[in-house]
Amino acid sequence: MQDKNTTIGKPVNRIDGILKVTGKADYSTDHPVQNPAYAVIFKSTIASGKIKRIDSIAAEKSAGVLAVITHNNAPKLNPKGGIRGGALLQNADVLFYGQHIGVVVAETFEQARHAADLIKVEYEQSDARIDFEKIYKDGVKPKDKEDEKRGDAKAALENAEVKIEETYATPIYHHHPLEPHATIAEWQGDKLTLYNSSQIVNGAQNAAALTLNLKPENVHIVSPYIGGGFGSKGGQWGNLILAAIAAKMVNRPVKLALTRQQMFNSVGFRQRNYQKVSLAATKDGKLTALAHETSTHAAIQDEFVEPCGDCSKIMYDTPNSLISYRVTPMNLILPTYTRGPGKSTGSFALESAMDELAYKLKMDPIAFRLKNEPEKDPSNGKPWSSRKVVECLNVGAKAFGWEKRKMEPRQLIQDNYLIGYGVACGTYPAHQRDSSAIVKLKREGNNVTATIELAAADLGTGTYTILAQTAADALDLPINKITVKIGDSDLPPAAGSVGSVGATSYANVVNDVCNKVTDELIARSGKQYFVRPTASQLMISEKIADIQARADSKPLETAEQYSSHSFNANFAEVWVNQSTGMVRVERFLAVTGAGKILNPKTARSQIIGGNVWGIGMALTEESIVDPRYGHFVTRSLAEYHVPSNLDIGELDAIFIKEEDTLSNKLGIKGIGEVGIVGVAAAVANAVFNATGKRIRELPILPDKLL
Amino acid sequence: MKPFKYINAKDAPAAVKLVSENPNARFLAGGTNLLDLMKENVEQPDEVIDITRIALTQIKATSAGVSIGGLGKNTDAANHPMIRQNYPLLTQAILAGASGQIRNMATNGGNLLQRTRCPYFYDVNMPCNKREPGSGCGALEGINRMHAIFGWSETCVAVFPSDMAIALAALDAVVKIQSPGGQEKSIPFADFHRLPGDTPEKDTNLGHGELITAIEIPKNNFAEHSYYLKVRDRASYAFALVSVAAALEMNGNVIKQARLAMGGVAHKPWRALKAEQMLVGKEPTEANFKLAADAEMAEAKPLEHNKFKVELGNRSIVLALQMAFNSDKS
Ligand SMILES: Cc1cc2nc3c(=O)[nH]c(=O)nc-3n(C[C@H](O)[C@H](O)[C@H](O)COP(=O)(O)OP(=O)(O)OC[C@H]3O[C@@H](n4cnc5c(N)ncnc54)[C@H](O)[C@@H]3O)c2cc1C
Ligand code: SF4
Repeated sequence: MQDKNTTIGKPVNRIDGILKVTGKADYSTDHPVQNPAYAVIFKSTIASGKIKRIDSIAAEKSAGVLAVITHNNAPKLNPKGGIRGGALLQNADVLFYGQHIGVVVAETFEQARHAADLIKVEYEQSDARIDFEKIYKDGVKPKDKEDEKRGDAKAALENAEVKIEETYATPIYHHHPLEPHATIAEWQGDKLTLYNSSQIVNGAQNAAALTLNLKPENVHIVSPYIGGGFGSKGGQWGNLILAAIAAKMVNRPVKLALTRQQMFNSVGFRQRNYQKVSLAATKDGKLTALAHETSTHAAIQDEFVEPCGDCSKIMYDTPNSLISYRVTPMNLILPTYTRGPGKSTGSFALESAMDELAYKLKMDPIAFRLKNEPEKDPSNGKPWSSRKVVECLNVGAKAFGWEKRKMEPRQLIQDNYLIGYGVACGTYPAHQRDSSAIVKLKREGNNVTATIELAAADLGTGTYTILAQTAADALDLPINKITVKIGDSDLPPAAGSVGSVGATSYANVVNDVCNKVTDELIARSGKQYFVRPTASQLMISEKIADIQARADSKPLETAEQYSSHSFNANFAEVWVNQSTGMVRVERFLAVTGAGKILNPKTARSQIIGGNVWGIGMALTEESIVDPRYGHFVTRSLAEYHVPSNLDIGELDAIFIKEEDTLSNKLGIKGIGEVGIVGVAAAVANAVFNATGKRIRELPILPDKLL
Repeated sequence: MKPFKYINAKDAPAAVKLVSENPNARFLAGGTNLLDLMKENVEQPDEVIDITRIALTQIKATSAGVSIGGLGKNTDAANHPMIRQNYPLLTQAILAGASGQIRNMATNGGNLLQRTRCPYFYDVNMPCNKREPGSGCGALEGINRMHAIFGWSETCVAVFPSDMAIALAALDAVVKIQSPGGQEKSIPFADFHRLPGDTPEKDTNLGHGELITAIEIPKNNFAEHSYYLKVRDRASYAFALVSVAAALEMNGNVIKQARLAMGGVAHKPWRALKAEQMLVGKEPTEANFKLAADAEMAEAKPLEHNKFKVELGNRSIVLALQMAFNSDKS
């Protein structure tokens, strides 16, 4: 392949950028359909009990109303079909505040919303489990998580030369993608089309089909563009199914979009965690024990526990380790995957504790980490496919000017500000998942074009672009000759854009299918070549008008022999106003070793986007439940504070050169999740360095620093 | 949202007539607050009278000071050269509020009449005496970190959220009103907003159908030494935990006159009169600022989740006074 044509590794602009900024990219409810009706969900106003009566007479008589659907008239569904969070109108039970209890369908959105306001509900209330502080101690082992022990952490802690044992608390966080969850459902006979933002296209198809008692091939998911998801559009939620049954009942296409307020209790969240981390070390800073014990909550009928101990399993070398979880059911919607699930919150606890112990040992926190760098994966003894923690720390320290940091807190002062530096590491697993793709090549004269098709998802992260780049390089075509078709369940099945598997799985299969079509073209030509020709050369020389090929790619068989993860080191400089306690992140640097970087521009956006959310975790974001009623008190973006521009100064991302071909053929590792991991701890550690105050309960609001 | 009738008012008398004749009618200015409240069913007017085309938008010098049109936009008030130069405290306070887009829509009259951001007030499924008198106060024993530490009653512990109004309170502004009978009224700023008492449903002393036509600020000598400090949970686009509008008039090295008003602490802009009095005749030292702050904050009665506001209020008064004193040097 000639160098001039490679696009991989170049900061190529998003190929869908123009469509998006000109409003021509159709998101879920933008798709043109004939004569749609509008559905609005109404929700329970108690946290636990039974619906005694729903008075919908006024609503049904209200102008434009086509149907009111409740558990009294909803069709029988399969509640175990894979829809998350229940709330499918199958019975009178109320399990959390804000559970869907019905849908109004009307000619217009306004009519539906007004009619929904006219519904009156009588309940029989029962005691609710909504005060986490009071009930977390009742937690039991999760169904799928045994305590993981290596050596004897408790004994090593008892005999430790130096140790710390602290509990770190994180609140409920919400995903809040810019595009709320929204669907158009349209039936043709027993075939259903769902225009619906789906991070896992085939997952949405299967869950909808199973729940609605349909064959998967009768459900068509259309999801070409997704306005963010962060895990909340990975699994699908009740709203998708309610749109489908509403469309069936009124015999018309139905649009159903959640309001921002409804987003708080419709599509999961990141659960509240109390994480106790205990670290033991020798006086010269060698870790001897690490225990990470998490207490959290799940829903009443369903369990989800984010793996807060995951980072602790692999980050540092220690002979003794304990990872455990305890979970208690609460009358809240089911928690779910949220960017960097387990790792972002888990790393806050682990990396804060590492910082605390470094102070106790009077060691530089970077030196302390380097001293405990594991040669192999301590949790399973497997060799790393690649691990660039040392490089991340060293490169980052140099680039960030770590030498300016003073070990003692409160040493850097400018005007009314205390300045502090913090560091923290992060990690996220790297996996390739089964995916299939088709390539279609066409030639008109000397003009060869290609179309790539697979049921991949682009959450706005740049999937379209990196797949066009991958295909362009593999076929030796200019990128503008490539069309990428994704986000449609009629296309070959593919992995989801979740858990940082998207880029790896998609790019590998696209590369495979492009190589395969080239092989077929070579075979067709019947010639021997000294230098492997490209697909477009062959199309022209052999005068082939069109050809297509399909590949079904699987992870490398040898990949399982290695432990594969992305790693990072995060550096924060904070300025804390001494009078008011307000914190500003003046500078933030993330140095990441995440395999081959396909597109440094979209990759940088991924990392700094994750950093911003991590800064939000650390400083501003928090969803508060009223322990008397079980509702979210913070129920709009005026109260759920994501960081504003003014909260953050300079953001920078550096990638360590790395091609991890032990992990997968193209050497990619995935960057979507790791960008948020370690961020909150870096900020909290910087706050300690600035102020001498160790805040173990996020977010670090001004009052905590007074 | 309840269906409603939309009427475009051609002038002020027409608007006043339309609203005063119907207890369920509301003026619609920028709509940045009213429409949100309507979408949440907190406000359910059956008639909405659009007043945005009425020409009460001018900012003009008067013999007494300056007059700011009640229907002018917040952005225009903040950026007017006369305001920037003579009343920089007002510019700072307006620019500390909301976001650029919202300030471009929000009007000066609407800003004074925006309603509390108490989350129980906003959620019609929760008890709230302000929204539904007699239903109870959801915040009193609920989540009340954002709530009042001064002047609250058992019936309501909400705070008034405006920034602009805090500066106007410090500057002794006067609210000009056109009443249904056709007469013009003036209400001094201190009497405009109310404490909750037993009638938390009434935020202000403005009668139904009365239209804010202008806000007047008297001339003063504070332009050299004033500062608006806003402490909040994020650096921009968040309501105040505590804010302080501070203004000093110096006579050599002695404070001749001091003005202090606080936001985020009470149901109305809270004039820190005690602190003001203590500062007159004193030197602008940190120790004197602290004494004044201590005296003012001694009266505070915090709730379960907002105890920090007492210390924060104290520090904020001191910092705002320091910034005000030094504001001519930057
Ligand atoms: C997300 C968000 C954040 C915000 N943050 C801040 C902040 O940090 N600080 C801050 O100060 N404000 C903030 N605001 C509030 C904003 O300043 C107010 O919404 C705005 O000033 C209201 O002005 P308006 O013209 O849009 O009023 P409208 O919404 O049109 O009206 C508000 C009320 O006043 C009445 N009214 C309007 N004009 C008149 C008049 N001339 N005479 C009589 N009655 C009238 C209306 O009938 C209505 O009841 C924020 C708002 C939002 C949505
Ligand atoms: S504080 Fe006032 S506004 Fe808030 S719930 Fe109580 S009565 Fe309502």
